Order: sequence, then structure tokens, then C-alpha cells
Amino acid sequence: MQRSKTYYAKLGYAGYKWAHFTDVPFISLKLPIIESRLTLVTTAAPFLSSAGNQGPNAPYNAEAKFFAVTGIPLDPEPDLRISHLSYDRTHCAANDRNTWLPINALRQLEKENFIGELSEDIICLPTNRSQRKTIEEDCPAVVRHCQRLGTDVALLVPT
Amino acid sequence: MGCARDIVEHVGVPRFFYSEFPLGHSAGKPHDENSQRRTLAGALRLFATTTQPRTTMKSDQIWSQDDSWEKDFLNIQRLSEKEIEKLREDYKQQRATAAKLKNLSND
Repeated sequence: MQRSKTYYAKLGYAGYKWAHFTDVPFISLKLPIIESRLTLVTTAAPFLSSAGNQGPNAPYNAEAKFFAVTGIPLDPEPDLRISHLSYDRTHCAANDRNTWLPINALRQLEKENFIGELSEDIICLPTNRSQRKTIEEDCPAVVRHCQRLGTDVALLVPT
Repeated sequence: MGCARDIVEHVGVPRFFYSEFPLGHSAGKPHDENSQRRTLAGALRLFATTTQPRTTMKSDQIWSQDDSWEKDFLNIQRLSEKEIEKLREDYKQQRATAAKLKNLSND
């Protein structure tokens, strides 16, 4: 975190504060995982043909950002990319979506009865640089989607 | 599931399956189904075994025997003044683009 702060300060953006909670909510599972309905939550963005390079090795691309929580059907598999996010572009070529989106692995474990079932939608969560918006708008929207989908467990895989 | 341990633990989450991999690999190594499966299975096990919030479980997978990759990400000391100046301009433009799109999405 200190390295990130130093980096962004040098680029002219000092003072970024990550959210911090002393109380963290927690509940145990109501059902065993093998009977649970799981919803995947991702910070990856739906591919936008109008938004420029979102492919492997793409530089940071703000045009590909999205700003509202969105539920997208998992079938057919959605094209979700990470060019709008800050990740390690030196050591991640972003040429295998399974490194940020474990849909294939989830489908495999669903087949093997490791989990009950995958919900029909994946939830895309925007990385708005506003704690107020994330807490007051985006998190309640994720909860509404989970209620709609009958989610027992939500698996957040951020990039 | 994620790779940014310090940030996730600073924020605080109920359960965290941590992979000590370069950011972008929260779900496992590229083109490695076994790694991706093991990463997911590790995360799913946490649902059953965790009894309190802020529980972190570290993956036993290793990215590379050479750990120099950990020093590359956002390391300003590894950049020249010229590179920093270019990044500063790029970043300013990207921030402006994001702000413009955000305003449009709020209209």
C-alpha cells in the first residue's frame, strides 16, 4: 500500500485512502457448500467494442470502465475484461480470462458436486473511486441482485 | 479470492483466500487449469471452515522461485524521470476520460 501511495503521489495524486472497517460482517453458511447456490461477483468489465484496446497486454483503459452494478447471464459465457483496472501489467499478460474469472473452474466443480449450483447471472461490480458510492449504491445493488438470484454464497473475485 | 493482501486485510472481509501472485491472477496461474482449480477449491473450502471474520488463508502455490516480480508493481524507484513524466500525462488523461464517462453515466 505504501508503494502504491508513493507511486500515485509522484504522479500527482496524493492522499488516496482505502476503506477500512473495524467491524466486519460475518455469518456462517446456512447450507453446506455442496448444497449452496453460488453467485460470482467480479470487477471485470463487459467488453465494449467502442472502447479501444481491451485485449491482452492492453494499457490501462479508462474508456472501458463501467459505473453501475450489472447482472449478466453466464450462458453464453460473457466477455469480461480487465483493461480498465490497475493490475501488474509487467507480470500479467491478461491473455487467459480464467486468471481473473473462474467460470470454467466453477462449472467444473459444479459438475463434480463440489458446490450446489452456480446462479444464472454473474454480477459485475464497478470500481468507482468513491467510498460513498460503493457503500451507499453499489453494495446494496449487489445485495439486491443476490436476493433476486436466490444466492446462498457470494464469491468476490476482484482484480 | 485475491492477490492484494495488504489492501484486502486493511479494508476487512469475512473470508479471504490469498494467492501470492502478480495482480491479475486472483483465480490462479495463466493457462494452468490445475492452478485455477486449486485456487478456487481453496477459496470454497473457506466457506465451510471459517468461524470468524477477517480470516485469511494463503494459497500454498508459488508464482516463481525468483521473487523479484514482487518488487516491480507500481515501483516508482524503478522508473526514470522521463517515464514518470509520461505516466503522469497518461494518468491525467485517463482520469479525465473516466470522469467524463462517469458524468455521462449519471445523466
